[in-house]
Amino acid sequence: MRQLQLTKEEEKIFEGEMGDAPKLAIRLLYSLGELGEAERLIPIKSAHISGVSYKNVGEGGIQFLKKMMHKVSVPTSLNPLGFDIENGGPVDIDETFHKKQMEIIEIYQKMGVMNSFTCTPYYFYNEPSFGDHISWAESSAIIYVNSLIGARTNRESGPSAMASAIIGKTPDSGLHRDEGRKATVVVNVTEKLDYTRFAALGLFLGPKLNKNIPIIKGQKETKGIELKALSAALSAVSSIPMFHVDGITKETSLVSDSPETINVEKSDIDETISKNSAQEEPELIAIGCPHLSSEELDYVARLVKGKKKVGPDLFLFTSREVKAQSLESVKIIENFGGKVFSDTCMVVSPLSNKYSKTGTNSGKATFYLPLKGYGNQKVAFMGILDLLKWVIG
Amino acid sequence: MKGRGLSPGKATSDVVVCNQLISPLGEISRDGFVTSGPCENTNITGKVLAFKGGRGSTVGSYTFLELKTRNIAPTGLINEAAEQMVVTGAIISEIPMVDRVPLDVFLKGDRVSMNGSTGDVSILNVKERRVATVYLMHDGNLLLLKRSQDMPSYPGQLSGISGFIEEGETPEQTGKREMLEECSIEDAKLRKIGKEIYVRNDGNLYGITPMIMETRTAKVKLNEENSEFHWIKPEDIQSYKTVPKFQETFLSLRHDWYLDS
Repeated sequence: MRQLQLTKEEEKIFEGEMGDAPKLAIRLLYSLGELGEAERLIPIKSAHISGVSYKNVGEGGIQFLKKMMHKVSVPTSLNPLGFDIENGGPVDIDETFHKKQMEIIEIYQKMGVMNSFTCTPYYFYNEPSFGDHISWAESSAIIYVNSLIGARTNRESGPSAMASAIIGKTPDSGLHRDEGRKATVVVNVTEKLDYTRFAALGLFLGPKLNKNIPIIKGQKETKGIELKALSAALSAVSSIPMFHVDGITKETSLVSDSPETINVEKSDIDETISKNSAQEEPELIAIGCPHLSSEELDYVARLVKGKKKVGPDLFLFTSREVKAQSLESVKIIENFGGKVFSDTCMVVSPLSNKYSKTGTNSGKATFYLPLKGYGNQKVAFMGILDLLKWVIG
Repeated sequence: MKGRGLSPGKATSDVVVCNQLISPLGEISRDGFVTSGPCENTNITGKVLAFKGGRGSTVGSYTFLELKTRNIAPTGLINEAAEQMVVTGAIISEIPMVDRVPLDVFLKGDRVSMNGSTGDVSILNVKERRVATVYLMHDGNLLLLKRSQDMPSYPGQLSGISGFIEEGETPEQTGKREMLEECSIEDAKLRKIGKEIYVRNDGNLYGITPMIMETRTAKVKLNEENSEFHWIKPEDIQSYKTVPKFQETFLSLRHDWYLDS
């Protein structure tokens, strides 16, 4: 195995001359570099850190964050937390949760991390360009920026993205190199898919592909938000860091010599959806996993404009900035009787404090929400038009 | 067994084998249970947890840290193919971890000793033996031998030419020696040698180095270890009842050999 070579400067950090946090950080990067058989560390343009909600970080995580507390050296955005800081919700939380959550936020603020609190930082706070080397956590964002933007990041964990943010570097391995971005499986899908069916495709393919990068054929008309749904679902149930879409994404020439082929039938998608749909009426309709774009907020607003909500609660999740840019649509949705939250989402907030049955069009949420001891929800997974039928009288 | 050491430290514990990918966020609960898949409701506290690999959330690393803080963590982690999330979790939580170990070498009730620095993994009370297996080819055909009924392992099953690697021998030397003993063939040339694979048979664990050799003669003279031989077309291999992992090992080795040439 090749050995990772550190520069003189990096050696000093490794030996602790710059302090304990950078020492811990570079040692973690070093170990992960060896895992990926990197020969060196390379500079990054940005980082994105996950591990913000107290629900996920826990007490052990807080102790770790304190040990790692150090100024970041590149622009660094941050994932959502357990509640909407300015407006409260989506559910009531106890005092301990609130206190611990704010303690985590303060640590990140001291590190100089942006108050972005979103899983879609690529819409506003942290927009990478084609070919940029970056170090991002948040599985749905990693696969999105690799695939749709052509930026280059491995599937960093919260701690390793933080380590990279502090050092300003990442191991030169995996997705940072052309070889690591090659598709090894051709996936043929002839049926034209919409948002929810793309999410279902992700849930269906993930366990089959495990960690192989696919190139998807037959979907030349697809939109960015649909591939966002695919990104989130696929990366929830696998460790796939990237996909290519024939005729859409920018690196479709990167295909291995003899790729396998998988043909996806309409029935595969139908079964994935029906398997994940509880038939009972949900108590909550939750939309926005990953966080909504302005375009998606506008779409929902058009559907509910001038109507009055009935039945279950309707919650939408987005980032502060996207919400601010779409105030008109937000007002329409609120007049309807829905709520638009920022900073948080259905997965990282303690939803089960109030709800036990949730309807969603998100494949990612459909994976996490039913898990015992985590989301504890009965989930109805269906398209947005079907979901809205519950609330539009 | 030799895996790849990923997170330093040593552990000796009962092993919990979960033949599944696991998202440490959500699929491992904060009280130390696996919450989905074949291992649903299995406690991992104080155990060596062996699973295929990680998936899902990039926050999963914190799950191990939380379990460690509560003193309910697994003592060690073993993966078939590790990814960054679980490795990071192991490193920051100081839990020893090794990957590149197949899950099917473990049986229910096994106790495992592992070293996360060297990558060494052993199963207590199981004897490890190193074996060389030769896939002998002649004119595009593959030699299958039927193991005698009085062989201590896999009697009556079809296999290649194989034998224990003796002290001081390389696998290739063992292969050639066995070929002479079992088949009286001297002229074979090594074409491709593969990585060691592991096969569990009750109290034995065989570390088998597979290799493809080619001979110019089809004449085979058996000794008492085998009762029959057959030259078969490699495409037909799946219709024969062979010893464990024999077929897939051959097919992948032959694939690598073709890529070389």
